[in-house]
Amino acid sequence: MKRYPSALAAIAAAATLAIAGCSSSASDAADPSGPVTLTVSAWNLDKTPEFNALFDAFEAAHPNVTIQPVEILADDYPEKVATMLAGGDTTDVLTMKNVIDYARYANRGQLLDLTDLVGELPTDKIAGLEPFDIDGKYAAVPYRQDFWVLYYNKALFDAAGLPHPDRLTWAQYSELAKKLTSGTTADGQKVYGTYHHTWRSVVQAIAAAQTGGDQLSGDYGFFADQYALALDLQNAGAALDFGTAKTQQVNYRSMFETGQTAMMPMGTWYIAGIKAAIEGGTSSVEWGMAPMPQINPGGETATFGSPTAFAVNENAKNVEVAKEFIGFATGEEGAKVLAGIGVVPAYGSDAVTAAFTALPADELSRTTFTENKKVALEMPVSEVTSDIDTILEEEHELIMAGQKSIADGIRDAGDRVKNEVL
Amino acid sequence: MTVSTAPALRKRRPPEPAAPTRRRSLRPTLVGWSFILPNFLGFALLTLVPMVFGLALSFMDWSPWGDPEWVGFENFERMIRNSTFWIALWNTTYYAAGHIPLTMAISLGLALLLNRTLAGLGFFRTAFFLPYVTSLVAVAVVWNMLFNPTSGPVNQFLQLLGVSDPPGWTSSTAWAMPAVIVASVWRDMGYYMVLFLAGLQTIPNELYEAARVDGANAWQRFWNITLPGLRPTTFFVLVMCTVASFKVFDLIVVMTDGGPGRATKVLSQMIYEEGIREGRFGLASAISLVLFVLVAGFTVIQFLIQRRREA
Repeated sequence: MKRYPSALAAIAAAATLAIAGCSSSASDAADPSGPVTLTVSAWNLDKTPEFNALFDAFEAAHPNVTIQPVEILADDYPEKVATMLAGGDTTDVLTMKNVIDYARYANRGQLLDLTDLVGELPTDKIAGLEPFDIDGKYAAVPYRQDFWVLYYNKALFDAAGLPHPDRLTWAQYSELAKKLTSGTTADGQKVYGTYHHTWRSVVQAIAAAQTGGDQLSGDYGFFADQYALALDLQNAGAALDFGTAKTQQVNYRSMFETGQTAMMPMGTWYIAGIKAAIEGGTSSVEWGMAPMPQINPGGETATFGSPTAFAVNENAKNVEVAKEFIGFATGEEGAKVLAGIGVVPAYGSDAVTAAFTALPADELSRTTFTENKKVALEMPVSEVTSDIDTILEEEHELIMAGQKSIADGIRDAGDRVKNEVL
Repeated sequence: MTVSTAPALRKRRPPEPAAPTRRRSLRPTLVGWSFILPNFLGFALLTLVPMVFGLALSFMDWSPWGDPEWVGFENFERMIRNSTFWIALWNTTYYAAGHIPLTMAISLGLALLLNRTLAGLGFFRTAFFLPYVTSLVAVAVVWNMLFNPTSGPVNQFLQLLGVSDPPGWTSSTAWAMPAVIVASVWRDMGYYMVLFLAGLQTIPNELYEAARVDGANAWQRFWNITLPGLRPTTFFVLVMCTVASFKVFDLIVVMTDGGPGRATKVLSQMIYEEGIREGRFGLASAISLVLFVLVAGFTVIQFLIQRRREA
């Protein structure tokens, strides 16, 4: 999971809770108004201001509750939480950084069943709930649902006299990227038409989401077109080549924020990142976002994403308060707090969209955000996900670095998955 | 020594009752033990016990959240079926085969160059030692920049020399390992150079003077005086360098992370990934056992050859 952007990690959690008193109905606890300290596992708090916002809002509504985050380094988060749980840790609320880890904890019986709580929530408005369904039961509720869009630099499009990238096909996208590759930035860096970050999802998860292919199947022919497109852009010089991006550990944020690329497919967690960069004065990029380019024009937008959720520890000390917090964070109130700082909440409503002030004011960006779309899970969850992920990552590197042909890479990935994993 | 000589002395004396003798000879033994005990305790607790435990683990199925279960040779079967294991085994050997001779040759060469009176000697010795004390991450990042296939100085220099299609270095499966070896030799040579320098100081100057008087040229002096005189140092360096090469982990993780694909994945990295990341302690222990046997085997062979030479 190291591939996942640290910003995503930001999700976390914090939590809190307690409440006992917050709603008039919560009066049956032993001492509903007594002070409660709710512990919540979270990561890299200093880079995730949105969570402090969430905690502050909850504490303000529940004066007797103090939220104490259990902060963990983002890169070590899954291992650390697994170790904590194995040791009988009593942290109340556990943030599920991704669905794969969630499935591991839940299958080991380390999370409290939240099916009842989910039954009380407006589930029709909460996106990304489905992957948390294990045989009809839920042990976590998503509060955040990121999905992938196409970011673009308005100034570069306008300078080239090209229309903004509204609902492109991949062929149109490729053509645009080549046209937009010209000149240099103020710092003398080459300006590329687009930037594909080194994660395999940029090619593979998009292909899976739009063709209906299964990344766990061992049959990867459905990757071929997307690889052909990515390699063609790279060979034409319209996208930074993979070898350089990988060996120099290029930061996708600086590629976009310093105007070195006119377009960039990326997840919505980056909205908060751009907002912070602009407010902090480190970037003056005029940005917008458009739906991901599609294979077939005209249909419903298909993209991929991943939800982030809160769960309650099986050994939690403050179960009621923990549930109260989760209800708050995953509902409209929590969603407005998240939207206010540029984080995409799982809960969607007009009021939440109105609170999403980080979004550029143009129509295209707003519809990209609000339109109905099909968001596939970035990687399906199963016992073998992690092993397959490793294999796909390795073969992705070889194809993108030109060390293997597309056909050979796809064949080898399939052979390895079938022989060593399935 | 006290312990071993005491019985010999006693033989010449009239026989004494057994019990008091034992008591008397126990004392120096206990004193001896008390000196090594603190060190041995640390070694036993932090190294020996985990090693033995690791050996047992390689026959068990165990993750951080379950009870260990005896599975016999299942981990080894799984390891043998895993193509990554064979690639990592080959890569580890490849790295060692490149790193050990190059490091030894270059560090010995540097030591010979710097073992003379020369203006700025201290500066050069420090300069060559500096890479060894530099942060490994910094070393890896800088070498990655130097090896950048398109705009890196290494390839620009090669192009200047007329190489029209320079290697892709760390982005190429064929050249990634050589690139890592170059960086690691550069980093380690200073350390071994210091060891060789210390060895050179122990060779008496009279030998060289006598050889010169007899008309031996520089090459003959090196071959017949320096190399034999350095033998204990060379052996020590060889053993240390071999052990370090087979255990390589950090530089590879930072520089290539085993890539591209699996082109630079080594055994210790695989142990980390299977054990810590995937939580398969049994499989990771089985691979560790292979690595241990490999390192121990090479070291024992080196000791045997050295002993035969000395005999």
